Amino acid sequence: MRTNNKSTLSKITESRNFGLVLGLIVLLIVAAIITPSMYSLNSILNMLQNNAVYGLLAIGEMMVIITAGIDISIGATLSLTGVICCRLMAENPGVPGIVWLVLSLVIGALCGAFNGLLVGYFKMVPMIATLGTMYIFRGFSFLFSGGEWWFPHQFTEGYMAFATKKILGIPSILWILIIVFVLAILFLGYTSKGRRIYAIGTNQESAQVAGIKQPRVVFLAMTLCGMLAGLSGMLYTANYATCSYMIGDAYEMTAIAICILGGVSIVGGKGKVDGVIIGFLMMSVITYFISLLPGLSVWSDAIQGAIIIAAVALNKFTERSAEKRALKERSALI
Amino acid sequence: MSGEKNTNVPVRDLSVKQGFKLSKFLVSWEMVLIYILLLINVVLMVSRTNLYFSPGTIQAIIQSGMDVCPLVLGMILILMLGDIDVSVASTMIFASMATGLCCQAGMSAFVGVIVGIAAGALCGLFNGYFVAYVEMPAVIVTIATSMLFRGIVKIILDVNVLKQFPSFYTTVAWTNIAGIPLSLILFLVMGAVFVFLLQKSRFGRKLYIIGNNATCAQYSGIDVRKTKLIVFVLMGVMCGVASIFFVGRMGGSVSSTMGTGYEMTAIAICVLGGVSTNGGKGKVYGPIIATLIMAFLTYTLGLLEVDANTRKIVTGFILIIAVLIPNVNRQLIANLKLKFVYKGNKNVEALNIKTAAEVKALKATIDETKKDSAMNDADKSAKIKKCEDKIAALQKKCKEQTEIWLREQKEDERKAKERFAAK
Repeated sequence: MRTNNKSTLSKITESRNFGLVLGLIVLLIVAAIITPSMYSLNSILNMLQNNAVYGLLAIGEMMVIITAGIDISIGATLSLTGVICCRLMAENPGVPGIVWLVLSLVIGALCGAFNGLLVGYFKMVPMIATLGTMYIFRGFSFLFSGGEWWFPHQFTEGYMAFATKKILGIPSILWILIIVFVLAILFLGYTSKGRRIYAIGTNQESAQVAGIKQPRVVFLAMTLCGMLAGLSGMLYTANYATCSYMIGDAYEMTAIAICILGGVSIVGGKGKVDGVIIGFLMMSVITYFISLLPGLSVWSDAIQGAIIIAAVALNKFTERSAEKRALKERSALI
Repeated sequence: MSGEKNTNVPVRDLSVKQGFKLSKFLVSWEMVLIYILLLINVVLMVSRTNLYFSPGTIQAIIQSGMDVCPLVLGMILILMLGDIDVSVASTMIFASMATGLCCQAGMSAFVGVIVGIAAGALCGLFNGYFVAYVEMPAVIVTIATSMLFRGIVKIILDVNVLKQFPSFYTTVAWTNIAGIPLSLILFLVMGAVFVFLLQKSRFGRKLYIIGNNATCAQYSGIDVRKTKLIVFVLMGVMCGVASIFFVGRMGGSVSSTMGTGYEMTAIAICVLGGVSTNGGKGKVYGPIIATLIMAFLTYTLGLLEVDANTRKIVTGFILIIAVLIPNVNRQLIANLKLKFVYKGNKNVEALNIKTAAEVKALKATIDETKKDSAMNDADKSAKIKKCEDKIAALQKKCKEQTEIWLREQKEDERKAKERFAAK
């Protein structure tokens, strides 16, 4: 049994998010000292706007990782959706933008459902299945694009409005991101389907004994992940108003990195949306910071890799120390 | 070991002796791979006859696929543990860079190669430490280190290209000895070493145990952590060796963006070769044949004017199908039948299976009676008639019972729904 007589303050300081927030604040201070230009509302909004896609991908990826799986095809899904939407949009400029939003959701959901079918119903190892589908989606993305590029003059106003139009001074892509965050919190925390995702990840066998159908839950999680990847594909192209089949390369890695930074356990069952939000903020600050400093851009890969390793190692060590503390408490009770 | 000390104690013979069965051998996965290889060859031969028989084509095809071969061999061991390593391409580039920098500094070729392999081993050690001793999941560690190692190469090289490499690099990749590519010979030699290592040595058998059940391996006295670390270091060494093949193949130059996607090819080849990604299953022969298949496939598709990205789609589908094929077995068919024919009712399934078995037995009796020469025709036909009647009765009974049970099931479902609706 867990003892509940701790003070609220110690609870806060012991939680993982506290460390993350502390890290974020330190990072912001360092960034402020080195590049003071970072602190204007405009540049902060800009930073968030350009990184919003990672937030969407990370939320989807989180659901899959919680089921003890992994999806490395989301970058390819993003590319496929972006290409299809851009191509059709350039050919039919008269169609209202909302159609492309819905279309992107549908395409993404189909890609995710294919993954879910392979992983959930055919019991393939998630890594291998999504590795295969990554190849497939990328290939199809190239086939649909025909190697073409799309440039800003081909983009319709209604299409770009979903990412760049400002509502109450905030770009709409951020509003969409906020809505997705809220929906994810509600879905994962307060619906039975969301709780089932956690149950499958924590202990598959006991979840099955409790009457949860593992294939169905995995299918659902992967479909949602694909859907968000599709949405981010459309929003990415709308935000930058350029598109080619090469977009979204290695984005899955960044999404996974955000999840791990946010305390999502890669073996499944653990992870919260608020952690992912903090992880997302941290990653955006880091990438923005790197892009501001001249000559640092070649370092970005190495820095990202080092951050992931450090984050997971930190996760491991905090878990171990928590286990040790729990053991001590238990032995003290005896 | 204690068993070796007192050898006069009679030991129970635990070895399982399996006779060689031709029918089983012909449908084994390795043979299936050989059939696929032959099929691709035939397709190539028919579609591009002139090219196929012109000298040097086959050698060129084989050489084109050999630059991943050391990665494949190392990856077999990693997958055997149930882990995965997606940093191999970055490690390979890292090792190439180390060699290139040494050669640029004017050191001898021998030192350069040693430094390259040592750099690979160091990367492997880094991965292995985090996977084995910090107990981080291999996927995450290697995803991160793939960024890290390539990032370091990017920092050091920026946009420069290293061009000074030992001259034997290109020799390895491009020459033939008596019509056989040197790279293939080296690959087969390395393959033989790995066959010995994995299938005959004590170390290799440990890997199978760890792959099947790590906890069990721990309790039976295997140092799982140390073994994992060794395997990852070995993978790093193989990456160093791969850098020789790779740089030679690229004509003796290296830049930081080269070789992306090699890790995926290596994993795909291993999976195609029948190595289970869950660990504990697979042999070395399969991936060796699969390496050749991949080389021939890429080349053939290229010759058939399929562009690089469609080839990607084909590779993806092959990967998925190769993993799915072992899943298609009797159990799956039985499960599907249970779900769709018997509507998930296990009683109905059992009844149907039982009836089918009885009917089969009766039919066998009929056949026997037909062949039986001791009876006269009248008796025969009477007996056959009897059996046929029995079959019809059984089938009718089974059908009726099935209908009753299914109706009951439907009724139950309806009642359950009503109960929920009432609440």
